[in-house]
Amino acid sequence: MRALERHRKLTAIWASETGFKGWFSTVNHNDLGRMFLFTAFFFFIIGGLLAMLIRVQLATPNSAFAGPEIYNQIFTMHGTVMMFLFAIPTFEGLAIYLLPKLLGTRDLAFPRLTAYGFWCYAFGGTMLIVAMLFGIAPDGGWFMYPPLSSAIHSPGINADFWLIGITFVEISAIAAAVEITVSVLKYRAPGMSLEKMPIFAWYALITALMILTGFPPLILGSVLLELERAFGLPFFQADLGGDSLLWQHLFWLFGHPEVYIIFLPAAGVISTVLPVMCRTTLLGYGWIVSAALALAFLSFGLWVHHMFTTGIPHLGLAFFSAASTLVAVPTGVQIFAWIGTMWKGRPELHLPMLHILGFFVTFVIGGLTGVMVAVVPFDWQAHDTAFITAHLHYVLFGGFVFPIFAGIYYWLPHFTGRQQFFRLGELAFALVFVGFHVTFLAMHWVGLLGQRRRISGYTPEDGWSVINLISSVGSFILAIGIAMILIDVLLHIFTARRSCRNPWNATTLEWAMITPAPAYTFASLPLISCRDPLGREPALATALARGEGYLGVPREGLRETLAVDSASGRPEMHVLYPANTRLPIVMSAVTGLFFLSLLLKFYWTVPLALVGVIILAWRWVWSLGLRDDPAMQPVGHDLTLPSAATAERAPGWWGSVFLLTANGTFFGALLFGFAFLWTVAPGWPPPVWFKPSVLEFALGVAGAVIAPLAMRRAIRKNRAGDTPFSNVLIALFGIAVLGITCAALMMRAPAPTSHAYGATLLVLGGYGLFHATVAALMSGFLATQMRLGFTSAKRRAAFPIVALWVKYASITGLIILSAAHLPGMLS
Amino acid sequence: MTELLRILLAPLVWLVSFSAIYGLHGLLCETAEGSFAEFPVQRFVLLAAFLLAIALQITILWVLYQPRFAAPAGLLRFVSRAGGWTGLVATVWTLFPIVALSTCT
Repeated sequence: MRALERHRKLTAIWASETGFKGWFSTVNHNDLGRMFLFTAFFFFIIGGLLAMLIRVQLATPNSAFAGPEIYNQIFTMHGTVMMFLFAIPTFEGLAIYLLPKLLGTRDLAFPRLTAYGFWCYAFGGTMLIVAMLFGIAPDGGWFMYPPLSSAIHSPGINADFWLIGITFVEISAIAAAVEITVSVLKYRAPGMSLEKMPIFAWYALITALMILTGFPPLILGSVLLELERAFGLPFFQADLGGDSLLWQHLFWLFGHPEVYIIFLPAAGVISTVLPVMCRTTLLGYGWIVSAALALAFLSFGLWVHHMFTTGIPHLGLAFFSAASTLVAVPTGVQIFAWIGTMWKGRPELHLPMLHILGFFVTFVIGGLTGVMVAVVPFDWQAHDTAFITAHLHYVLFGGFVFPIFAGIYYWLPHFTGRQQFFRLGELAFALVFVGFHVTFLAMHWVGLLGQRRRISGYTPEDGWSVINLISSVGSFILAIGIAMILIDVLLHIFTARRSCRNPWNATTLEWAMITPAPAYTFASLPLISCRDPLGREPALATALARGEGYLGVPREGLRETLAVDSASGRPEMHVLYPANTRLPIVMSAVTGLFFLSLLLKFYWTVPLALVGVIILAWRWVWSLGLRDDPAMQPVGHDLTLPSAATAERAPGWWGSVFLLTANGTFFGALLFGFAFLWTVAPGWPPPVWFKPSVLEFALGVAGAVIAPLAMRRAIRKNRAGDTPFSNVLIALFGIAVLGITCAALMMRAPAPTSHAYGATLLVLGGYGLFHATVAALMSGFLATQMRLGFTSAKRRAAFPIVALWVKYASITGLIILSAAHLPGMLS
Repeated sequence: MTELLRILLAPLVWLVSFSAIYGLHGLLCETAEGSFAEFPVQRFVLLAAFLLAIALQITILWVLYQPRFAAPAGLLRFVSRAGGWTGLVATVWTLFPIVALSTCT
């Protein structure tokens, strides 16, 4: 088959629908990556405009530009938009677009999940922006501290928009994180072991794992605060056994890792782009991977350094001060590795390199002020001043925006197939660099002079007028620079001349294809033998286009790829992707209906939305079923592979493992909250304790033990060729009993609006009931599949997945019942 | 999965021990009373936990250097051992205040 014919056939198989209809049904990572990036930059412009409004307000003393109420909404939305709607989705978009290309595969692990995540993000973000346009945007600051954000002090719907809107957007982050983790571990080119993986993939993997463990505490906090606001469950009310400090713990358990979740992908961009700009290879690959891992872990031990002024004992302060200083070490290792890379090579000052140099200067300053605020006595002085605002902008703009601009300019020829023509970008960089430093160096200064953050005005007598004016002038220079970058990118997209295939002479796989990237990404999959495949084999792109790699023959309109062993990169199974579908957008719309119903307090539509989600989820999975045993598939190079439907550890199993990792973190944070309130919060002991029941506890334990055992037996029987219908039904029965005992706990919990103890038991019981319901639905689904002939000894992938969820529901159910019943029984 | 676990184990144990000792500190300062050899009982418990955390990290590092348990030669071995050292250094550095500072003030 000729290359052109192959291209046409593969395009017919992989392309999305033509016209705007294609936006709603596409599940292709090329489309969705671009859609994520476009939407994120749209929100970036909104966030930037809000920043301009802040600087207009603060440019002069006694400013009457915006009153305090509007100003509160402006700065809250600026932080919220930049953090949740720009930074994280930009990483998601870049990773979704790039990872399959860097890893040498055709798409991510779960294309429909990518689309679902995108639509959740788009709908959730829109919800927040619409609220702002109606003047009812959140106004409690981007970290929403109670009691300020509680119903008593913030009546109205503003805070609810934040809590519900952000939770909706977080679904997108969790979906993308699961997607990225499984893709990096399982969807790589044959031969690409972990050692040969491009450095960006390591960063993406680490960041995704951090999202899975960092975001759930915030989701939990948002759920609890919304429950308090909507139904009066007093988790954060000190007079009723709650504690507002619990919110700070939950928020910063997310909030500090968030900084590194934003920085690490940007570091991945630098580690990828810098060696190309310096005509060399990355120095200290192993050191950089180790440093990124160390940074990821250490970042979870820093959360209390945002709470140094809350009256924590000295020893606690010292723990977190020490951890905060230690985190500078792995950051420094990466910085020195990059400097060494520049030293080793021959740096060329192309536009991406200018932004990387901007990153170095800015981020190092931000890092040094970070070490300053890690020292407790200094933090006590600088806390909540403009110094902190300046520090965080040096870290985030330096550590994310400059590298992302470098990445955008570096990969723009890949997105568009065109090469840079105008020279506007260089001037724009100079304006951005100068404008940024004028704005935020001044802000350090005025912060040290005592200006608080988030104030809407000051008087001339404060002595901050000139510095604020300089800062505002700088911010407008910065804004002009960013506007010029956007114009430069648009000019590039619409007017620049065609580019050659690999304009930077890069050595990574994403350049081994025509640009802009075709819908199928690779005409055939490469065999990887080193970290720089294009460096070793410059003609690789042509060979792949000729179909000389794996899966080079398009087959029966099927979207095919390979999954590999996670460590060695040995081909393990043959995977078929789903085709274009509107299911993800419909599912996210129904999910949105659920959140919107809660927000607008239309509670009667909540169960309707839940039923809708269940029906759509059922259909989602049902379409993957096979009625016949799939044969071994020849994939080229004399290799035949089994289908993913016959694997014990299919992609769905891996996805479930990482989704449950996030879920487990949520549950762990809930238990932490319970223990925190019990031991630290004022207003304890509660007026009434939960009355334990030996019968309920015993029934729940029995259900939790029987269900996973029955599923285990079902897996064995199915493997042996029997039909384990009865075992699955026993598992269903066991999990139902567990669910009933959790429901009983909810019903018998002491009045949940009277004390945080009863409220927490209610949420724990609800968590157990929810997971028992999910596990029961999955067991029911499996039983139906068995009855209708969708499983066999070979088609067994569904069994371990259901067993995993049943096991999770059982373990968490046991812990919940023990936490509720045992204290009373033992006392 | 085993390779991933080998890389993540030591930092994960640090994270658990760091959080657990921070929690233990809060718990002890709220509830425990009494003294032992003129030192408050909280200090002894925290010191014991600190030593236990260090011992765990040393054990993990030792295991990572044993040919039987070590990752295959190359990057994964390097990264898993770097993770081991990270866990040990982080444990000693971040929990060292137990030795130097007063406990519940």
